[in-house]
This record gives sequence, C-alpha cells and structure tokens, in this order.
Amino acid sequence: MTLRVWGIFFSCCFLSVQLAAAQVRQITGKVTNAETGQGLAEATVSVNGTRILAQTGNEGNYVLNAPDGDLTLVVRAIGYKRREVAVPASQGTADVALDPDVFKLEEIVITGQATGVERQNLPNAVATVDAADISRAPTPTLESALQGKIPGALIQANSGAPGGGIQLNLRGVSTINASVDPLFVVDGIVVSNAAIPNGANAVTLAQSGGNPRNQDNPVNRLADLNPADIEKIEVLKGGSAAAIYGSKATNGVVIITTKRGQQGKPQFSVSQRFGFFEAAHLLGQRQFASLADALTFSSDAALVTSLWNQSGGQNFNFEDELYGRKPLSTETSASVSGGTEGTQYFISGLVKDDGGIATNTGYKKQAVRANIDQDLGSGIQLAVNTNVIHSKSKRGLSNNDNAGTSPYLVFPATPGFVNLQASNGVFPNNPFERSNPLQTFALLQNDEDVWRVLGTVTARWSVFSSEHSHLQLIGIGGADYFDQRNNFVSPPTLQYEPNDGQPGTVVLTKAQNRNLNLAVNATHTYAPGSASWQATTSAGVQYEDRELNSTQILGRTLLAGTSPDLAASVAPFQQIEPVRDLGIFGQEEVLLLDRKLLLTAGIRADRSSSNGNTGKYFFYPKAAASYRLVKPFGGVDEMKLRAAYGQTGNRPVFGTKYLSDSTATIGGNFATLPSIQAGDPNIKPERQKEYEGGIDATLGSGRVDLSLTLYQRNISDLILVQTIAPSIGQQFHAFSSTSTLRNRGVEASLGVQPIRTRDASWLFRTTFALNRSKITHLSVPTFQTGGFGTSLGTFQIEEGKSATQIAGREGVVGDVYPKFQMSFTNDIDYKALSLGFLFDWKQGGDIINLTEFLYDAGQNSKDFETAGKQRQIDFASKTGVYVQDGSYLKLREVTLAYTLPSHITSSLFGSNMRYARLSLSGRNLLRFTGYRGLDPEVSNFGNQAIVRNVDVAPFPPSRSFFLSIDLGF
Amino acid sequence: MTPILKPWNLTLLVGVLATGACNFDIANPNSPEPLGQNPSRLAVSGAANGLLVGTRVDQADWVLDAAILGREAYRFDGSDPRFTGELLQGPLDAGGNAFGGDHWIEPYANIRGAKALLAVIGTAQSLTAEEHSAVSGFARTLEALEFLNVVNGHTQDSIPIDVLPDAAAPPAPFRSHADAMAEIVALLDQGKTDLQGGGTAFPFTLPSGFTGFNTPTNFIKFNRALRARVAVYLNDFAGALTALSESFLDVAAPMSLGVYIDHGTGPGDFANPLAQNPQVGENFAHPSLETDAQLQPGGAKDQRFLDKVVPRPERSVGSGAGQLSSHLGWIRYATPITPIPIIRNEELILLRAEANIGLSNLLPATDDINVVRTVSGRLASIPVLATPTAALDELLYNKRYSLLYEGGHRWIDMRHYNRLASLPIDRPANTPPDVIFSTLPIPTAEVLPRQ
Repeated sequence: MTLRVWGIFFSCCFLSVQLAAAQVRQITGKVTNAETGQGLAEATVSVNGTRILAQTGNEGNYVLNAPDGDLTLVVRAIGYKRREVAVPASQGTADVALDPDVFKLEEIVITGQATGVERQNLPNAVATVDAADISRAPTPTLESALQGKIPGALIQANSGAPGGGIQLNLRGVSTINASVDPLFVVDGIVVSNAAIPNGANAVTLAQSGGNPRNQDNPVNRLADLNPADIEKIEVLKGGSAAAIYGSKATNGVVIITTKRGQQGKPQFSVSQRFGFFEAAHLLGQRQFASLADALTFSSDAALVTSLWNQSGGQNFNFEDELYGRKPLSTETSASVSGGTEGTQYFISGLVKDDGGIATNTGYKKQAVRANIDQDLGSGIQLAVNTNVIHSKSKRGLSNNDNAGTSPYLVFPATPGFVNLQASNGVFPNNPFERSNPLQTFALLQNDEDVWRVLGTVTARWSVFSSEHSHLQLIGIGGADYFDQRNNFVSPPTLQYEPNDGQPGTVVLTKAQNRNLNLAVNATHTYAPGSASWQATTSAGVQYEDRELNSTQILGRTLLAGTSPDLAASVAPFQQIEPVRDLGIFGQEEVLLLDRKLLLTAGIRADRSSSNGNTGKYFFYPKAAASYRLVKPFGGVDEMKLRAAYGQTGNRPVFGTKYLSDSTATIGGNFATLPSIQAGDPNIKPERQKEYEGGIDATLGSGRVDLSLTLYQRNISDLILVQTIAPSIGQQFHAFSSTSTLRNRGVEASLGVQPIRTRDASWLFRTTFALNRSKITHLSVPTFQTGGFGTSLGTFQIEEGKSATQIAGREGVVGDVYPKFQMSFTNDIDYKALSLGFLFDWKQGGDIINLTEFLYDAGQNSKDFETAGKQRQIDFASKTGVYVQDGSYLKLREVTLAYTLPSHITSSLFGSNMRYARLSLSGRNLLRFTGYRGLDPEVSNFGNQAIVRNVDVAPFPPSRSFFLSIDLGF
Repeated sequence: MTPILKPWNLTLLVGVLATGACNFDIANPNSPEPLGQNPSRLAVSGAANGLLVGTRVDQADWVLDAAILGREAYRFDGSDPRFTGELLQGPLDAGGNAFGGDHWIEPYANIRGAKALLAVIGTAQSLTAEEHSAVSGFARTLEALEFLNVVNGHTQDSIPIDVLPDAAAPPAPFRSHADAMAEIVALLDQGKTDLQGGGTAFPFTLPSGFTGFNTPTNFIKFNRALRARVAVYLNDFAGALTALSESFLDVAAPMSLGVYIDHGTGPGDFANPLAQNPQVGENFAHPSLETDAQLQPGGAKDQRFLDKVVPRPERSVGSGAGQLSSHLGWIRYATPITPIPIIRNEELILLRAEANIGLSNLLPATDDINVVRTVSGRLASIPVLATPTAALDELLYNKRYSLLYEGGHRWIDMRHYNRLASLPIDRPANTPPDVIFSTLPIPTAEVLPRQ
C-alpha cells in the first residue's frame, strides 16, 4: 500500500514537470467587477483541468502562462461568482467581468472535519458571518458582534458589565441539566468558553455553603478573541450539520476561521478608534417631595430630619453618581499580510481600552496574532497560527447579594435624600444599608487578568494528486492555554467590612485551563473526467484533552495589604476538571448530476472520560441531500431543496458521574459529609436526533435570496438533575433518564438588493426564527428547579409543557423563551458613503424582575406611591406581579462610513494608499421595551439552559459611540 | 523530493496518544472517597465530625428564623425582604429552600450521614467492638437530634422517617407525629445503650464544644438531656425527670455548662453568622423583649436581657401600618467563633421545673425557677407558685429570657402550650396583616414526587 502511494506521488510530481515544459503561450487580461467595472485584486485565473493558475494584481490585471490549444479559464474571486471563459488557441487576451456574489452562494461552507461544499449545494442551514459583518460597528467582545446576525441564535448578555458575559443559544432549549454552551472551534481546535467565578461571593454571600458560585457575574472566555482577526464564523446550529462533532455538538458548533495571508507584497491595514460608553438605561427611584414625605420612609424621625436638612431637600441620583462616567475608550488594531509563493503571513495586533461607566470598571485587551503558511515542498503545506492575548477587566460588584453590597441591592433601601458622596475624600456611611456603593466602587478591587495562548499547527499533505483523484492528509495539533488571575480585594475601611467581625476580605483566584487537541483527517476526492460527478471520502481521528484547574485562596481579617498571605484567617479551595475525549469519524459526500444533487452520509464514534462507561463508543450518524434546480420557473434563478438528518450528543456537566462528598472542619477537626447530589455511575451523553428540511432560492437575477428551514430536534436520554424528596437525605439526583425533549422551529431569512447601480447599492436582510420546546416525556414527577423559591419565581420541569416555564405561587406564570425573534439589517452605499444598521427584535421571553421587587419592598421604586405599593400587596398571592415581558427591539449597530476618493487618498498619502475611511458608529443606541428593569438581557446565574432571565441587581447596560479611521496601504 | 515531514508518524503519534497512553478513567479529583465498607479510623473520625458539621449547617439559620417566627427577633435585610414579609406575614413559601421550605433539607441530609455511618461502622476492622458501639451511640444521638429539628419546624403533619439509601427509589411514606416522636425516643434510648457498651473513649476527637462530654460515658449525659427535652415535649413528665437525673443537670454548675456547636474562622470552618456588630447589623431584637423584661431589685432590667440585647440606632422597614421598627441589637454571640448551644444546664433546670409543673410538684418547680431567676436573671426569688397556670406563666417567662435566640425555644414552647395567640402581632392593620405561624410547610420538593 505504502509503496503504491509513493509511486503515485512521484509520478504526480513528474507530471507537473512535464506540464511546466508545455507552457508555451501567455494569456493576459483584466478581471473586473461586473457592476462597477473596477479591477479586482487577488482574483485567481486558472486553466480548467490543470493546476496552472495566476493571480490578479491591484488593478485586476493578470498574466498567465498557458499551454497551447483551446482551453477554458476558470476565474474566481472572493465575494464574486465564479465564471468560466472559453479561450481559443489563437486568443491571447481574456477580460472577464465577475458578478458580485451578494448572497454568498459560492462560498465554501464546512461540512466535515476537513471538507466543505459551496453554499449553493449545502444540505443544511448553516449561518455564516463574515469579517465585514463582524466589524460593522466596534464591539466590546466577539459575541455581541453576532447579535441579530444568526437566524435561530438567541444571543443575550448576562449583564452590562464591561468585558463580556454573554450566552449564545442555538435552536431552542437543547438540554435541561447537561452542558449549555455550543462548541467553539477556532482554526480546527476546540477552545474553552469557561466562566470562572471571580470570588465576589466572599463579600456578597450570594451563595453560601459549598454550592457553585455562579452568581459572581463571570466573563465567559470566548470574550478573549480579537474580532478583527476573524475571517469567517460558521454556525452549525443543529444536529444534522454538527453531527461531525459527535457527542459535543447538540448545542451547536461555532467554527471560527481566522484571516490568512495572500501571496503579494505586504498590505497594511490600520484602524484607530476613539469613543466612549455611557449608561443606556437606569431605573430612577422614588423622589421625596417634602420632609413629611421623607418621614414616611423610616421610623427614625430624627435621622430622617437631619438627613433631609443636610440634603437641602434634594433627591440625589445615586445611579448617575455611580454609573455616570463616559471615559474615553480607544482601540488600535493593525495587521499586515502578504507573502511569496512559498510563504504567506498574516500578522495582527490589537490594543483596546474600553472605559467603564462606573468608577474603577473597564476592559482592556492586547492581542497579537501570527498566521503563517509555508509550502514545505513535496505537497506538504504547513499552517501555523499563534495568538497571544492579554485581557484585563474590572467589573465592580453586581448581581445577587445577601450582605448589602451590590449597588442595586443597596439603592432600593437607600432614600434619595441621603448624600453618599465623599467629602474631603471620605465617604459617609450609608445609614440605611450596610454599604455605600460609591465608596465600594471607589475602594474595592475586582481585577481579572488573563493571559491566553492559542496555537495551532496544521499540516496538509497532498499524498497523491492526479487529474481525477486527490488524497490529502491533514494533521492538526493545537492548544488553548490560559491563565486567569482574579484579585478581589475588599479593604477593611469599606462600610460593610467589619460587619462579620472579620474586617477586610481578599480572594485570590488562579485558574489554568488547557485544551489540547490532536486530529488527523484523510480526505480523498474523486472526480471522473466528465466532471458530472464528484465523490469526497473522509475519515479521521480527534483527540481532546482538557483540564481546568482553579484555585482560590480566601483571606478574611485583612487589615493591611492585598494578599491572602496577610490575612488572619485563610481558606483555600480548589476545583479540577479533567476531561479526555476521543472521536473517530468517516464521511462520504457525492455530488451528482452536474453538481445539482448532493448526497452525504457520515458517522462518528465518541468515547469520553465524562461518561460512566469510559470505554464505550457512542455512535452519531448523519445523512443529508440537496437538489439544485436551475431556473425552474420564471423569475427564479435557482432553487434548492434540502433535507438533512443527524444525531449528536451532549456532554454531562463535569462531575455528574461522581458522588461529590464534601469536607469541612469543626473546631480544627477534619470532617466529611455525604454528597447532597446522587450521581450516576452510568451517566451517558444526551442524544439528539434532528430532522431538518428547507428551501433556498435566488430570484430576480440574484437580487433576492430566500431561505426557509423547518426543523425538529428530539432529545432523548435527557440528563436530569432532579430535585428529589429531600427526606432521602439528598437534594438532587443526577442521572441519565428516559425523558425526552422536543424542539420544533422555523428559521427564515430574506435578502434583497433593491438597488444595485454603479453609484448606489442597498442590501436589506432580515431573519426570522421561532422555536417551541416541549418536554415530551418526563420519567420522574414534575419538579421545580432554580431561582429563589416558588414565591420569587422558579422553573418547573413538567411533562407535556415547555421546558422553560416559570412557576410562581399561583402556578405557571411565564416562559423564559421568546415567542419569536427577527432582525433587520441594512447596508446602503452611495458613492463613497456607506450606512449600515441592524435592528434586533425579540418578542416574548419573560423575566423575573427581582430588582423591582427589592425596590418595591424598600418602598423606594420610582413609582412606589402609584404602583409599587400595590405590587407588594398583590405579590402576597401572585408571583406574576414580578414576572414581566422581556420583549425588545434594539438598534444594535449603526455605522456611517466615508471612504475617501482614491485621488484624494493618493494626494494625501501617496499612491501606495489602498483606502482611507472615516466612520462613525454606535452600538445599542436605541431600545424599545416594555420591560421595567435595567435591561431585558439579564441572567443572574450566568449561562444557563433553563434558569435564565432572573434579574437581581445586574450591572446596568451601556451604549457606545465610536469614531474610526481605517487606513489600508 | 524526500518529504521533510513524515505525516504517517504524526498519525501514529496521535493514535498512540489517543488510545494507548491516555487513561479515560479519571477519579474524582475534588472530593474524598465516599464512606464505604471497612472504613479506616480516619474515615470514621471524618464522618463522625461530619455529623456535627451537618447539624451546624442549619443551626444558625434555624435560631434566626425560629426567633423571627416566635417574635424574639427581626431581620431588616435590604437584600431579602422575605425576613419581614414571608416569615411575619406569609404566605410561607414551601417551594423555597430559604424561609418556608427551610429546615428540612439539612436535617435529613445529616440523618442520611448518620445512617451511612451506622451502616458501615460494624465492618471497620481497625476499630474494636466497643469502639463500634461508641460510634453507633454517637451517631444515633445526632440522628435523633436531627429528627427533633425536623419535628420542631414541622408539627402540623406527619414526616417521613425512613431515610432510604437510593435516590431513585420512591420517597418514604409519611408517618404520624407520634411515630416520629417514638422514633426519636427509640434512637436516643438505643444510643444510650450503645454508649454504655462503648468503653472509655471515642475513636475520634470531638471539638471543644463537647468539652466534658467527649467520652461515651459523659456523652450519655448529653443523650439523656435531649431525651428529657423530648419527654417534656411529649408531656411525659415522669420520664423527663428520670432522664434529667441521668443528664448533666447541676444547679451548682455554671448555667453555660452544656454541649455547643463550634464555629471558627480557620480553613474549612464556618464563622457564626449570628455574630454581628449590634449597632449596624441587620438582626434586631424584638422590642417586646425590652418591655416584658422584669426588673432586678436595683431597678435594672433582667440580667439575661442585658447580657443578650443592647440599644442601638433605630431602624425600620415599611411605612404606616406596614412599618416595623426596632432599636435593639443582639450581643448574644459576641464573635464569629462564639459557639451556639445545642442544650445546656440552664435549660435542664427549667426542664425539671417544667416537668414538675406538669406533675403539679410546684414546690420543687419554684425552687428550680428561682435558681435560674436569681443566678441568671439576678431577679428576686419568687414565693412558691400557687397554681399550675401561674407556674407555667413564670416558667415560660424564664425559658424565654434564658434561652433567648438559641434555638427557637420561645416559638416551640408557646406552641406546645397553645399560647401562640399571645405572641405580639406587630402589624395587625397591614395588608395582609401579620400572622403567627405554628409550623413551616412541608417543602414542595417533598410533596411533588408523591403526587
């Protein structure tokens, strides 16, 4: 076998030498944009059936050394439709005009570990977001740049704190108690999206005992990636597309591809941005009109009178005093790319400094990336990606709290006539609560410092290549390593600190995460001479070894300094999460009938250390078909019918299979306590079977693009963390049950280009998504989980009902999941001006507004006299008073850009300047909502499958404005 | 044309790493091995001390919540208005693990811990038979204490008694209140027998809260003290006197003599959350404590009040008819390492008085009450109580101030004698008005699986 392969390999090399000898004539020409007539740089011109190709220069001109005889040139450029041009033997020039591929029908979309097909053949609805869409407006972190751009994705911030904390949820509710996040893959390796608590719980006491501290408002680490490095994001939303990722794919897979260099002289791109963030919405609070009014607030008349007199009868605006900053925010990013025939490079850097709306908050990031491609000869291509990121965030204090420290838990108890501002640098104590948030934010340190290295080496070896057949082996090795340090220091001078008898608190968190990936894929393509069909066979192995190791040292009674070493009482905590996964897959893809019919089938087998039986392979098959109809009837350019089926798995949360006994000490004695959760030694991944069908069509000579997808996802072997009868002596039973969950949904997208002239174009895109979940079978009795008890809203898991229903005193009072979502994107270009804006609409999805509950209970809500008082009375029998509709329409992004005409550019900067652009942009500028809280995007418990939309004292949302200068030379 | 890389080698490397060199069976890195057959001395020691930690988990919360229900305390907490809403006005939320649905999960978890230890202790080869017996007596006593904690919070109904090993099994049946009390009695009595056969020392160290009760023989005195409390709750007054005679009751000993749960600030330890700066903390003493306190001969208030409560800046919640206020702070627990009592001499003396009142022996009852009045309250002695009702009034006054803020005694006693209606209603005109609850509801999580 080996000998034969080498034989073919050498004969192949010999063949290419022969071909080189046959190059006897030159073909020259210019490749242009058919709409504008402008020359297209970096277009490739190749001779059909050979490997001879040339690239166009900046003006679109090319020179190709071609063999004698009649031949066909294939001309391609990214963002344009491919064109084939016949060139007779006698002809020496060929100018080619390419039509823009506005709806990206010819874009290659991933279908396997190492395979892809053009979108026009794609059998699934795979959403892609390209660099232009990501960078339309400056974004604090990557996830927010995706909001409204992926039909079927619910992307919501957990709070407005700087530096991220966003959940991305695809196609409904895919689980109740298993893993929640989609799989994130960057350049072929699985990266971590862990959210590591920052230690604030030591002060907020939001969660006591040994429970996971998930109310710290952590950052999920996807936030580290530099959006400017990204070439393309492909979102495999459901099982049928994601089956190639097997047991990790039920929540969908987000495949991120970074930019690479092209052969040519160095091209520099520099972007400088200046702007600011400001609070987008604050709540306001009760205004006291008179001393008599103020006296109703407290029984301590002397205190109230004295404070009222000190305030001069005014009501202070605490929120504005704390969250009213608009500091300068800057971002500088630069990249250079280019290369020779053998080596191409893309090198980028980013320096970003986002100021926070509150004192001592903000987000900083520095990143460098080098993506190098090297042709090693012998058909071996090496691609090396390295990325070093340093991010720092200061997130203040927010979310639930039981110690009177989180600002939106303090304001509800603090009447407006209290002056909290510092005088002569000394903050007054808050006489009505345990803390003065202005003091807390001024003196508290909640610093997160992350160093992260992502490195990938990909070797592609063309084992043999003939006219009809090509075998490629791809080896990928990569690692994602980060080191996160959180310094949480609450000095003893803070008002609340002495309350527990241990003034001064410090929490030092050190977390290391490593994701090590190794994969080998083999891909064989066979295309017989007639070119009417093509078969791609691929197979491979993937191994992933990851470990999150997080250590916390808590120090109390810290009279000086900031290290736990200096504290009188010290307690360490450690959590280690090691996981090893192995997957094997095989896939066959056949394009038939002149590339009109695509048939594909594949299977993946996975084993994992997270499962009860670690030696057992779980199998995930998939199959899909699509058929393309060219001009089936009048007005329709092309129509595609598609159907797909696939199975995927969802991993148990780490530790589900174990009995987690806990330890403690009492009077210095070591103690062990039985686990409060019964584990399942036979735990296995959840299984999803997804059916998907759809129609895609292009109409009106490429001006209208339509896509409609229907899907059904049946999830079985649901892992339940069932709340059991506590008289068993345990609270939860985690196990693989026979319960099932179903999601049905519709996704639609429409793109229209009503104007497409030389000077002006208008591209309008809209998406629609709707999903309904239902627990089709629940093998255990109805149970409630999450939240703060029934009276304040909990979540009810019940057969025959939606998986996300909210239950209160009076029964079911709402549902977290939206009724539907839509987005509207406009890209309007007129000569040198371009305007882009995106509206994101979520209809429905209820929120448990406990922030308002706290304001009402503190008799301090803005509308306390007129409505709040009554809400408190109604609340005694109705939880629903505080379960509110979270519908919103947000103007996510607006950008107005002006590209300097080339004659001005060259007179200003010289002829090497490729472009110069000035733009003004904003994010989250407008919002329309009936929701009475700070922001309808909220989650006190962070990323959650079910228990989202609990609003307890979040960090307020912000909007941003930026002025950008982009230069290319 | 020799390839620089040998991709086959890479394949091989991946193959080796993925299949051969890598172990997919990873032991739980974050928890100790669960207690199993033939436990080591260390494992037994950990599990035994675990029962004390298990009872500590809920103790402070119970002290506070029961004090609020029994109108000894308020908590004005801006972070959680349910301390003045749900606990005083209702409705009690059976679906919440705090408040209404509380004081159920934790005792049952500890009962499970005790049963787990009892199930394997006989297989521990590194322990002697006497030591097995000592551990059993210890575990049964703690198990009884936890059942008593469940019953104290939940009297309206029956409770489950069989704590099953299998989380997937249907929950155990509810049994009557009488059955539950009988179970507690049986556990204590069996515990006593075990301890009697338990030799001279426990095979583990007990924390300092058990000083004086850290051998099987001494531990029996603690066991009997609990037994006496249970007997009084059952109106088995003769039985109570018998048990008290075997307990550590001693009118000459300090009132503080007794068994405590330790708190600490070391690694893995738990600071006493009831220790607060009384001037700024959220926990307040109920204003009625000040007005109801009797006066010492010198005119000062009852010393027990002065020792546990201090004036502080007034705070309030709500307004108008919905307003609650207090200007009294707690100094009952001075520091984060101040232990919380389970049972102590002062209660035993009063239990003996209570049993004697029940048996109409008013003379010895008055003597015991006077010991507590004079020693603890620095109040004047009272003449022999004339009627059982008067005696009960006097007893309940003394139990209230002697056992203030240390385990819901006020609420339990007033319920025991059907006197809950005489507890103060602070906000009668509020919407809805305040209510005195007699019990916490059975948690939703306990009810739903049975439907």
